[in-house]
Amino acid sequence: MSSSDPAIRCDAVSRRYGERLALDRVSLEVQPGERVLLTGGNGAGKTTLLRMLATVLRPHEGALAVAGHPLPREARRVRPLVGYLGHEPLVYPGLTAGENLELYAALQGAAPDRVGAALELVGLERRRGDLASNLSRGMRQRLALARAVLHRPRILLLDEPTTGLDDDGRERLRGLLAAHDGTAVISTHEPEWFAPLHVRRIALAEGRLA
Amino acid sequence: MRAYRALLRKDLLLEWRGRELVPAMLAFVLGAMVLVRFGLGGETLAGGTRAATGLLWVIVVFTSMLALVRSFAQEREHGIWDGLLSTPADRSAIWAARATATFLFLALTQVVAVPLFWLFFLQEGRSPSLGVLVAALLLADLGVAMLGSLLAGLATHVRAREVLLPVMFLPFMLPLVTVAVRLTVDTISPQTRGFHTSQGLGFLALYDTIFGLLGWALFEFVVED
Amino acid sequence: MVIGSRRARPDGATVAATATAVLMALALGMIFFYVPTDVDQGYSQRIFYFHVPIALTTYTLFLWSALNAARYLWRRDPSLDLKSYVPMHLGVIFGSLTLATGSLWARISWGTWWFWGDTQLTTFLIIFLFNCAYFMLRFSVEPGERRATYSAVYALLGVGLIPLSVIGVRFAQRNELIHPITFNSNGANMDGSMFLTFLVALAAMLSLAVTMYLVELRGKRIDDRIRAIRRLAEART
Repeated sequence: MSSSDPAIRCDAVSRRYGERLALDRVSLEVQPGERVLLTGGNGAGKTTLLRMLATVLRPHEGALAVAGHPLPREARRVRPLVGYLGHEPLVYPGLTAGENLELYAALQGAAPDRVGAALELVGLERRRGDLASNLSRGMRQRLALARAVLHRPRILLLDEPTTGLDDDGRERLRGLLAAHDGTAVISTHEPEWFAPLHVRRIALAEGRLA
Repeated sequence: MRAYRALLRKDLLLEWRGRELVPAMLAFVLGAMVLVRFGLGGETLAGGTRAATGLLWVIVVFTSMLALVRSFAQEREHGIWDGLLSTPADRSAIWAARATATFLFLALTQVVAVPLFWLFFLQEGRSPSLGVLVAALLLADLGVAMLGSLLAGLATHVRAREVLLPVMFLPFMLPLVTVAVRLTVDTISPQTRGFHTSQGLGFLALYDTIFGLLGWALFEFVVED
Repeated sequence: MVIGSRRARPDGATVAATATAVLMALALGMIFFYVPTDVDQGYSQRIFYFHVPIALTTYTLFLWSALNAARYLWRRDPSLDLKSYVPMHLGVIFGSLTLATGSLWARISWGTWWFWGDTQLTTFLIIFLFNCAYFMLRFSVEPGERRATYSAVYALLGVGLIPLSVIGVRFAQRNELIHPITFNSNGANMDGSMFLTFLVALAAMLSLAVTMYLVELRGKRIDDRIRAIRRLAEART
């Protein structure tokens, strides 16, 4: 990626689910190092867009590029660069917190000792040996956050990261974002909470830019 | 490679902790054998050892259906696919790990099933060659696991999954079972023992190779959205 | 995009249909009037000139479907999905005809409607089941890229299934002497006029398949265009 490439570029990107247009010719640009908030009601297309940037979903129309790499053609180059926090915690209930992160460390090509560091970052270092199913919703959300930052990605894609987090968890999230010197795209229902982080807002409604 | 090992470890660990699949398969095998043994009546099984061997294979097929329908259940129920697919790990590694785990579960089930089969159905001097049977079972298990994992990945997002997966799988089982039955039954009587054994095992190996390659190459397409 | 434009040259489907009509007429004429009666099997042997060409056409259709399936996975062009689906669909028709003519031949020659020892029939049964599963799959998924992808993958698996079925069933049955061997490693086991008739019949069947393919393709394309127009119209309102 050359220094002039935007971190994210969408050109008239569309995505259909059956007959319904989840994203309708959305165009936007995010520069490296920017923090962007995606706002909008349910069904606005925020999750769809984030999943597309995480290379989990393909655009049906338009052009999409992350860090200068066009998707879906160069999805493989994009994956190491992004850290994705989804709507679901994306962890196996039958594995412990530590085992979940060890698995993802292997999948993401992160060093095994990153697991301990990530758990400390989100305040779960003492719950490493606990089964994910025994963790509260808030703790599982923290674990998911740890998962997203395990491999120190340049671009964070967070889908409603504040869901279920208690005050301590929220503080850690804010700290994590403040310390993150790369790009971040965050979808949320509470944009005011992110205000101290100098974010730019992009609003979506019914799959289109509002 | 690291991803494959980690995923396999995950599958085995989850099964060891949850203990849902293998016990279910064992229960099914035991139940099926008891049912057949007593249902078909008394001392001698009509058709003798030959029919029994065929039945063994039928039971093997149905047991593998159990395993396949449950494949990727965790990923589906807890929405973990996004987690796996957003990592740089090769999708084929996901397939390979699942295929290996399924193969191990099937083989484990047969470690119990084959002695049971001997106990229930076979008479002295008239039994299929154990060596050939074991080799055939292992090769068949591998083919089932590899093709089955691909189809399970395909069916994972489809509505009528529990019905569709067996239907999709059945045509592919037929040549496998046909050869396996003929192969193992031939080893029962001295005249046909050794006859075409290498050809039969070679066919099973060919089957595994073809569907192994196809599974490796096509899994990526099946999980992409 | 103009629907119903008049072109100076006749389109593919019309050409194919004409060729089919000619070839069919020729084939039927040769089958019933030209070719000599088989010494061993009598007049009813002529079913062979229908059965085998239809069977070969079925295999060809599957191969064509799989080829376009692979191309679809490569290019993601929706028209390739259609071009993979239509031959598979025709494969059901031709496959059923293969089973029907095969069964008829069995009935006439050996007195049974079905014979499990017959490798050809058993293989086609497996293929028929595969076909049914293909359609069940297709009907279980919403139209779109996902359905096309799944169909393509399954079609490619099917192409792996066919040679394995043939070899596997042959291994298991090991009495192909029942099914008359007309082709072996020495080439065709028939004399000149029989071979010629066979070739004409094969050409006629393939031509029929091509015609049906082009016609169905065109019909489905028109369906898709109507659907696209409807979607555009709804978007504008």
